Amino acid sequence: MESGLMHHVALWLAAFLTLGIFSFLYRDNTWYKVCEAIFVGISAGYWFVAYFWDNLYTKFWVGVWVTPMADRPDDWYVLYVGAALGILMLLRLVPKVGWISRWPLAFIVGATAGLYLVTYFASNVMLQIEDTVRPIFGAENDAPIYEIIGNIVVAVGTFTGLIYFFFSKEHRGAFGRAAKVGIFFLMITFGASFGYTVMSRMSLLIGRMDFLFSDWLKLIK
Amino acid sequence: MRRDIPLLITGIAGVVFIVQYFIPHFPFNRFSNWFSDWFSIVAACAIWLGALNLFKLSLEKIHARREGWGYAVITIVCFLLMTVVGFSEGRDYSKVGTGFDWLYNYVYSPLSSTMFAILAFFVASASYRAFRARNFEATLLLIAAFLVMLGRVPIGDLLSGFMPPGMRLSQLATWIMQFPNTAGQRAILIGISLGIVSSSLRLILGIERSYLGGD
Amino acid sequence: MLFRVAIAFACLFIIAGVAGQPAGDTALAVQQTIAPVTSLIATNHEYDNGTGIDLIWVPSIDDRLAPSRVTGYEVWRSVVGGSGSRIAELPAGANKFTDEQCSRESTYVYSVVAISVAGNAVSISTAPIQPAREWINLHRLNLLAIAFLVSAAVIYFIQSARSGKKLFVRKIAGLDAVDDAIGRATEMGRPILFIPGIQDMDDVQTIAAITILGRVSRVVADYDTKIKMPVSRSLVMTAARETIKASYMAAGRPDAYNDDMVSYVTDEQFGYVAAVDGIMVREKPATCFYLGAFFAESLILAETGNSVGAIQIAGTAMPAQIPFFVAACDFALIGEELFAASAYLSNEPKQLGSLKGQDVGKAVALVVIVVGTMAATIGSAWDVTFMNQLWSALKVVFQTN
Repeated sequence: MESGLMHHVALWLAAFLTLGIFSFLYRDNTWYKVCEAIFVGISAGYWFVAYFWDNLYTKFWVGVWVTPMADRPDDWYVLYVGAALGILMLLRLVPKVGWISRWPLAFIVGATAGLYLVTYFASNVMLQIEDTVRPIFGAENDAPIYEIIGNIVVAVGTFTGLIYFFFSKEHRGAFGRAAKVGIFFLMITFGASFGYTVMSRMSLLIGRMDFLFSDWLKLIK
Repeated sequence: MRRDIPLLITGIAGVVFIVQYFIPHFPFNRFSNWFSDWFSIVAACAIWLGALNLFKLSLEKIHARREGWGYAVITIVCFLLMTVVGFSEGRDYSKVGTGFDWLYNYVYSPLSSTMFAILAFFVASASYRAFRARNFEATLLLIAAFLVMLGRVPIGDLLSGFMPPGMRLSQLATWIMQFPNTAGQRAILIGISLGIVSSSLRLILGIERSYLGGD
Repeated sequence: MLFRVAIAFACLFIIAGVAGQPAGDTALAVQQTIAPVTSLIATNHEYDNGTGIDLIWVPSIDDRLAPSRVTGYEVWRSVVGGSGSRIAELPAGANKFTDEQCSRESTYVYSVVAISVAGNAVSISTAPIQPAREWINLHRLNLLAIAFLVSAAVIYFIQSARSGKKLFVRKIAGLDAVDDAIGRATEMGRPILFIPGIQDMDDVQTIAAITILGRVSRVVADYDTKIKMPVSRSLVMTAARETIKASYMAAGRPDAYNDDMVSYVTDEQFGYVAAVDGIMVREKPATCFYLGAFFAESLILAETGNSVGAIQIAGTAMPAQIPFFVAACDFALIGEELFAASAYLSNEPKQLGSLKGQDVGKAVALVVIVVGTMAATIGSAWDVTFMNQLWSALKVVFQTN
């Protein structure tokens, strides 16, 4: 009985919040503001708790304290480095030494810059160039006409698209015309991506409508 | 001093994390995993700064009775509710049947998915805006979007049923995604990666230092 | 007589011998209805920390002749001087496996068992092998060389610009509009809103956004405009505060700086969006910057900004979100332009030099695409040996491991 009551409370609460967010489409209003305040409080609390249990407790505390020594990986002690960086970051709360929090920040920025430099270069520059270099007529010279045109389009589109991104050369003359063609390709890409996404966004809306009309109001069986 | 040491740390970390990609030997082979662990611990510590900031701003608003202070009360109450429930549940806080899970399912989740769902309306208004644009580039964007969108739904092939097989809208949409779209994406991806190389080098060399603040 | 006794003794010996054979061996002899795998070879897995051994074999002949007869393979490993165990089960047709759970201190012997319904067949074991570790991944030398070339070009042009050489950088409309957009906010007496995406400081796009914030906040400080920056990550909040504070100090107005210019909302993607939307409709910013890593929220933010009549400058390297910014914002920085923005806005020669350096990378890409596509097409269509060799060489140079 109680669980049935709780279920009803839960459904009405979820419906109240759903309609409150939808009401923003009309205009900003008290209902939306209440939902927004609840959303910020609940979600900030959620992540605060999740970070504590998943990262600080499970990753760090269990890693350096709870797990028996025999079961720990060889490099378990490096978790202390993470804790040290975290403590340095928290020194921000002490005004006199708050500037030390730049050290972990500097480390994160440096490491991210280094990691991205090589991984993006490998996966995007090298791989994309390798994939672009293909025989126009297909590997066995038997590509159908639509594929031949497509291969030409890929080569020309990648070439002119890259020309558009040149910063140190003015987009004038033949170079400017190539850059213009590059923009056309970019626009087609954006359009294709836009069109591809539209339907999936509609399905999200249908999902919420299904909750309102089927789960809550039970108008649709 | 306050900027030199962080600059040195950024430079050394940058070089070490580039080099580790080419060295399979311990400890370099573990750096990437270690960084991921360290970052998650730092982020978990840093969220205390964020939470305290949220509290401070909300309490200031309530104390000064500034406009909308009542909503700040709701935010704080909800934050406390979620954290008290979450901490009292222990490490299995998110298991099915816990209070935390109930709050997630009936408060957090509906709010999140509805906010995501209103995107459908914004897609429609953005499409309308693109439709009103009067230049050639916008028209190209719109035509490509229209063809791909129609090609992904059954009505697309119904409308183009008079065309010979292989030239119907669904095939045209596939062709656009496979070829012109690939070309544009490649140019963007190669450009992005070169941009990252350049911008990472500026950070590692200490040329770009605005993120470190003043002396 | 002696001969008969000898015959009888021999018969008894044979009978006793057969009866005394281990039952397992008899079963194996009877059940071995499929052929075992052959040519099983174990080699050190190259370029790791001494944890891998590669196995390669020729599948059972029965797997090749009648695929359904062999149902799969088992890989067995024994440590020399220790016991053996099964370490992998593979489907029929498999002919290689990498054991990544080895220790450099141990020596291993492997065998592969072909499995069938009728019975199993064990291969001959490999020679004992001990994994080794290497210092340099030679498979990545090509990447190292090309990345070094591009990096050297970037550094060369930075140095070249430092020494006073004049560099041309084309106009980027979205960035040229920054000053005007901030000026507009100043004139209207409304704030500017800066959204640095929803990722943390371990995303290079967020770092790019923070570096752009350094330039934007400098103009904001000069113009005495109000800046509002709600963020979804605490580390971003810390970095953004340092950045804005530095700009106000550089502008000679440290007293005008206030920590509350940057505020943490929540880590949750849509919770953050709900709050930012609320800020937009209530405070009606004159200018909105959306720079960094964005996901589905990009369009919600941009359309809400549109509804309040803000000038919007956006930039992201998330390919799926660029279209939405292009459609809904006044100016959109596409991919690479996001990373160039900070250098462009700084107008410092050494920063601009780096942009010219990355153009060298693009020039290399263009040449390879043209030469490579021609070589591949001519080589493949007309079987020109030189072109085929050139194509193969380019494939080797640009392959990644």
